[in-house]
Amino acid sequence: MTVAPERLQSAFPSGRVGVSADSIPYVLVPAEQILDTIQRCRDDLGYSRWIDLTAVDDLEAEPRFELQYLLYSMTEHRWLRIKTQTDERVASVTEVFAGANWYEREVYDLFGVEFDGHPNMTRIMMPDDWQGHPLRRDYPIGGEPVDFTVTRDMHTETENQDMRIEYTNTRNSREQRG
Amino acid sequence: MAIESQRKGDTLHINMGPSHPSTHGVLRLELDLDGEVVVACKPVIGYLHTGIEKTFEVKTYLHGLTLTDRMDYLNPMGNNLAYCLSIEKLFECEVPERATVGRVLLAELTRINSHLVFTGTAGFDLGASSVFLYCLREREKLLDLFEWLTGQRMMTSFIRPGGLASDFEPDWLKAVGEFLDEMPRHIDEYESLLTGNPLFKERMIGIGVLDADDAIRIGVSGPALRATGVAHDLRKTNPYIGYETYDFDAIIGENGDCYDRYKVRVAELREAVKISKQALARLPGGSVRTTNRKVMPPPREELGRSMEALIHHFKLFTEGIRPPAGEAYVPVESPRGELGFYIVSDGSGKPVRVHERAPTFANIQALPLMAEGGLVADLIAVIASMDPVLGEVDR
Repeated sequence: MTVAPERLQSAFPSGRVGVSADSIPYVLVPAEQILDTIQRCRDDLGYSRWIDLTAVDDLEAEPRFELQYLLYSMTEHRWLRIKTQTDERVASVTEVFAGANWYEREVYDLFGVEFDGHPNMTRIMMPDDWQGHPLRRDYPIGGEPVDFTVTRDMHTETENQDMRIEYTNTRNSREQRG
Repeated sequence: MAIESQRKGDTLHINMGPSHPSTHGVLRLELDLDGEVVVACKPVIGYLHTGIEKTFEVKTYLHGLTLTDRMDYLNPMGNNLAYCLSIEKLFECEVPERATVGRVLLAELTRINSHLVFTGTAGFDLGASSVFLYCLREREKLLDLFEWLTGQRMMTSFIRPGGLASDFEPDWLKAVGEFLDEMPRHIDEYESLLTGNPLFKERMIGIGVLDADDAIRIGVSGPALRATGVAHDLRKTNPYIGYETYDFDAIIGENGDCYDRYKVRVAELREAVKISKQALARLPGGSVRTTNRKVMPPPREELGRSMEALIHHFKLFTEGIRPPAGEAYVPVESPRGELGFYIVSDGSGKPVRVHERAPTFANIQALPLMAEGGLVADLIAVIASMDPVLGEVDR
């Protein structure tokens, strides 16, 4: 038994249906329909098991973040991927799948996408006072500012205040990766 | 246990961890205690976060492989395997039979490695320290075998996209056979110390019960899910690398308590020995490296004769492998559950996104459900029975 792309298309007429390289079917729905879509996948299509949620950042795309929800059907033994695109916020699906809780916090922490209606929308990986969202593609890599300075001669540092090691941001952009 | 001695009404708010010995890594639990009873349990993670998923974006695919070992450090080969399967899916690359059977052997040996650590530490956490020593004695032999094969005891990076890093030596295979022959006797030994032990049963039976429906909603996988009575093993339901051709059972429990989780893992130890023996017996001859030159370099001797081989060699060593644009997620059944790498490629030599679906990340979300209402001493048994590896939670 399989969920044919046609069946997915008729279940979600406003979605775009396709199959990825790993033969897992996906449906791309508008961001405002995500909660309804996940709910119907669980209740009508039988995808009762929570697997995964993550995001992909594409600086050139509009909107830039693509969220990837992955569900599993315990009766048909198949995965289903639900995609949506957003710039900043979508509805939380924690009331449908309790397992989404930490996954949404992780996406919020590392990408800065907020989930409306999440019971505890706080950072999960990074320290609470961290600035920025590390998995964004324009997040600087290559160094981290430190609280101390290094001078050529540690004992005469008063004259050498300007000898700080320069911290330059490396932009992890698409051009640079070549 | 660091006591903050901060009272909220009649309950005591304390921190357990982040480096409490029985939390199996740097897991912190914020507990509200009413006497000995856990009223609320809130796991706090992130202490081992090292930005591995970010690091992937600036590494070539082969460099990235070495990061996968470091996520679930008790299951390095399984992580290598999941990562390679996703990449191979993007390439549609054929892997020689010897490499595929070899992968089954290595994946099951690492499962034995991981479950030995579980059995030892589960006993140790409950005060049975001798079984810990016995389990680590056998694990030591296994690590010696890994070192012999790969040069590394833990961070093996041996399963590569397109096959294996190198072929098996006949002597190594013989040593593995001897190890597997003596393993069932050792498993009997552990079981004689734990399974029937009244003190151990007292601490495990009926403790930390997880309901099957909750487990499915939360995404709990692996032995923790099977202990609730759900017969879900990816090696059976969605077979990969030929698991459908091996004779083994998916072990399930009944009650979803700590004792069932323990029993499922010990029975899986026996099944893993069984599968490894079958893989060892059927290991065919031939190469362990694919002939797809876009994935693995051509043999050295071809370089002098073939211009094409030289180009492939040059491209692979300057740019790395370049999977076609697309996305792939090919999960495997790790000792802890469903483990998969979601890889997005844009056709260049470095991935756009690599995300690990880590089984422990979902599994320890269920910790409050199992711990709340129980005794604080039972919490130790609950954590031990979930077998968490914080390296793959925090990544």
